[in-house]
Amino acid sequence: MRVIGRRIVVVAVVLVQVMLVGRAYSAAHKEFGFQMFSEASEWRADIVRVTTKGERIPIETPWSGYSWNALAGTRGLSNPGVRHHADAGIDNQLAFLENALDYVAVNTPRDGETAYLEAIVTYWRNGHDPETVVFRSEPRAEAS
Amino acid sequence: MTLTAFDELLGRRVSMRALAVLRVPVGFVTLLHLRPFLERARDGRIYRDLFHEPYASWYPELPRALYVTLLWIAALAAFAMTIGLATRIATVITFAAVTYNLFVSTTHMHNNRAYLVIVLAALAVAPCGREFSVDAHIRSRRGRPLLDPNAPGWPLWLLRFEASVVYGASGVSKLLDPDWFGGRVAWERMLDQRANLENSPLPDWAVSVLTDRTFNAGSAKLVVLTEIFIAGALWSRRTRYLAVWVAVVFHVAIELSASVQVFSYLAISTLLIWAVPSTRDRVLIVDPAAPNGRRLLTTVRALDWLARFRVEPAPPGAPLQVVDRDGTMFERGDATAFVLSRLPLTAWFALPLVPFARRTRTRSRAIRAS
Repeated sequence: MRVIGRRIVVVAVVLVQVMLVGRAYSAAHKEFGFQMFSEASEWRADIVRVTTKGERIPIETPWSGYSWNALAGTRGLSNPGVRHHADAGIDNQLAFLENALDYVAVNTPRDGETAYLEAIVTYWRNGHDPETVVFRSEPRAEAS
Repeated sequence: MTLTAFDELLGRRVSMRALAVLRVPVGFVTLLHLRPFLERARDGRIYRDLFHEPYASWYPELPRALYVTLLWIAALAAFAMTIGLATRIATVITFAAVTYNLFVSTTHMHNNRAYLVIVLAALAVAPCGREFSVDAHIRSRRGRPLLDPNAPGWPLWLLRFEASVVYGASGVSKLLDPDWFGGRVAWERMLDQRANLENSPLPDWAVSVLTDRTFNAGSAKLVVLTEIFIAGALWSRRTRYLAVWVAVVFHVAIELSASVQVFSYLAISTLLIWAVPSTRDRVLIVDPAAPNGRRLLTTVRALDWLARFRVEPAPPGAPLQVVDRDGTMFERGDATAFVLSRLPLTAWFALPLVPFARRTRTRSRAIRAS
């Protein structure tokens, strides 16, 4: 029984690890894929709060006692208006930014005017020509 | 390989000495890893005070006080693991706490932390506290027999596989990426660091070379091939020492040029697992009365953490000799170089001397390698 258990554990670990290495070629966060220093990509984003009145207010201006950096200042997301190196690759960075928009939208209950957040992201994959992508947060229930 | 041979390989009893020694630096590395989490917790901040993403909705999120307590328990367990006190329990707790913390948010995931979890898992399942530990010292003082330091080798083989994957996956991913293999990534990264390079003590010509596109096209290929070489060469006893030597250079270069958290310390420490898992199978024959012999003996007693050598007294005036496990004999300065090349702390410096050492074959194998 012990011999079979050992065999199963070893084969399972090897298979899972190989699968994770393969998965890393398409996964944003590349968990256990060990792709070190994979890119030299850079990015910047213009992030705005779009109010229920249609105003577009940059998140560089604090609102309702909140600030972008205090809410999302992790994994290279601080000061998004400044051009940054994407530490773990551009796909990883964009995935974090997209989900951070939702996080900020959900975790700002004192804000009654923002309908959603929007990020216009420009990125340079390994120094190639810039590309642009637009992310929007989920609509906010608190917006009146 | 037949299934029987595979099972025999997994169950083969080998020395756990390398894992026992590895336990010590990995304990320190774990403390280094936990430090920023503990510092933030001390300031009243934890991961969920800002953007975080659980990996799964069902993943348990602990109440704040319990989470901070868990971090402190992890640190205490890592310390106990380092010194080898209640080693099995301490290692399992360290692994469990570090793993929980890694998966509590996608924002915690980094390659160095993933590798740390893998190494801790191997230490948690292997009996790595039977020697080189407070536990062993306590047993010895109480007059109880020491536990068998040999155990089935499968945790060691699995950890070797994982260590090799870290280099191989990284190298192959760069090989398959035209931007990486063509040098564009390395060049762009250097250009990004140009201001830092210009403010460093490097002369202008060196900065100019480092930021040159052609130079980076060549250096990128060297990096890729180095990673793939390390991944493969660690598996062969003929190339292992070279692979370890190159890996140390590689990690030191990374540590000096990039911020990689605990990765360099962890990766260099983990190179210990490539030592042949048998102990005292080389004989150091030394005259303890001779000054050179005495010095070497002191060095071996202090630094032979992997228990490579069995020491036997030589007759007065006899030259220093070392008999390797295959019967090869080294004498005098060559023996010193060989001994130093097999001690973890001096190996990197002494290994380049060994290919030039004069050696003779003894008629019979004094010791048989396992």
